[in-house]
Amino acid sequence: MDKLTYFDCFCSVGRVGPPILLDIPDAAGLKREMAAAGIERALVSHAAARFGDPGLGNARLMDEIAGDPDLAPVWFLLPHHTGEMLPPRVLLEELKAGGVKAVRLDPGRAQHGFSLAEWSAGGLLEALEEARLPLILDAEIVTWEEVQGILDRHPGLPLIAANCSYRHNRYLYPLFERHPNLHVEMSRFLGAGTIEDVVRRFGSRPLLFGTAMPYYTGTAAVGRLAYAEIEPADKEAVASGNLVRIIGESWT
Amino acid sequence: MKSFRDRVHAGLPLDDIEIIDIHAHLGPHFNMHIPAASAADMVRVMDLCGIRRTVLSANISFTADFVAGNDMTLEAVAAFGGRLYGACAVNGNYPEVSLAELERCFARPGVVMIKIHPWYTRCALDDRRMGGLYAFAEEREVAVLVHTWLEGDPFGSMALFAATAKEHPKIRWIMGHSGGPFGSRRAVEIAREVPNVYLDIALSMCPARQIEYFVGEVGSERVLFGTDNPFIDPRPQIGRVGLAEIPDADKVRIFGENAKKLLGV
Repeated sequence: MDKLTYFDCFCSVGRVGPPILLDIPDAAGLKREMAAAGIERALVSHAAARFGDPGLGNARLMDEIAGDPDLAPVWFLLPHHTGEMLPPRVLLEELKAGGVKAVRLDPGRAQHGFSLAEWSAGGLLEALEEARLPLILDAEIVTWEEVQGILDRHPGLPLIAANCSYRHNRYLYPLFERHPNLHVEMSRFLGAGTIEDVVRRFGSRPLLFGTAMPYYTGTAAVGRLAYAEIEPADKEAVASGNLVRIIGESWT
Repeated sequence: MKSFRDRVHAGLPLDDIEIIDIHAHLGPHFNMHIPAASAADMVRVMDLCGIRRTVLSANISFTADFVAGNDMTLEAVAAFGGRLYGACAVNGNYPEVSLAELERCFARPGVVMIKIHPWYTRCALDDRRMGGLYAFAEEREVAVLVHTWLEGDPFGSMALFAATAKEHPKIRWIMGHSGGPFGSRRAVEIAREVPNVYLDIALSMCPARQIEYFVGEVGSERVLFGTDNPFIDPRPQIGRVGLAEIPDADKVRIFGENAKKLLGV
């Protein structure tokens, strides 16, 4: 098997207060880590958008990765009601102009302090669905009931469950059965035989390559996929093809 | 021969070296679906990536019945002799039964280690009921693998682990998970201070640059290849070591040379 081409859907740049070990303050640092693991491309968010302020961090991200053809921006968004972000339709234009390839929402009191319910985020989710702009939700932050609600109400919205551990199959499988717009990235989706089991039951469509750098290493996800007992075409789809297809369908 | 890096990227087994997984389990777990949890599944995946031997303890041992768990372990070891090895599970809440289990399991071929899970059993490492188990390990010179996770675990914190390892210097102590992802720095400090402590790399949340950090701070001689299979698939750990930016000699030690010396397998 030739080396796969990897397209990471879940990593970030920017210094954080509590690093695990590795500090990746800038794009050059991220590119070094990608090269070490053999990862060619990445969708990137900025730690300052997550742990500082979404608007500030999104702007820093754009400066940080400007001109790099291998790194594409992921913005953290908020519902617009407090005036911290533009109304959804106007925001969409800004996202499109910025070449944003996916967005993240970190709801809940301990995170960005808002609700994913329709009365709060409904307009934003509707706009994202219209643009078919992938939404990344952290499985350690949201509940599967919240995810199910969004998938039901917004069937055209590509949703990526990230940071999803090996303990979630019993939640995920019934959702995979019902929702073709649900995907999971594999940085922690590492249960024994799970990749093979998902591909056998649902095909490779739900799976996306992800690393959670700088917290976790890209070498783990690379090792998992390189040795997967699935067809080469499925490996290529998980490594990069699925993500290329999903982001290629945005704005169409 | 292609490099480790090229072979990992090509998905080729690293079968020219001896890879020994010192931290694995077996069978289902109440909390999750595990698609490849049987001994046969585990050996098949070992073959795919080149793991020669795996030391395991059945999952049921720590959350339910450790005698039933040891039965499962012994059955798997007997079925896959030379590939699967046993870690005898003990539970300090049942000291007499645990001692009997140690005698029973170590009378069987292929049992090479003791596994303690303080968090699941809720029996602290310094609980006096553990004394007889430590005496057995000292007398038989058996390595002990302990689940460790940050400082918040009142039963098996890294501080308790370090104190227990110091108190029993004849035992070779393996720090399971090396304290978890945020435990890496403390794990290194403990390993530098306590020479009979080994670091285990088994994790699902695999910290970036942890392998390089361990080797740089402690040396590769006390870093062990563990996977937590079948909680965690072993293939990510092959990627972590195979693609780490350390010399090949260090990779060979971590993959298996250290475990071979430690366990005598």
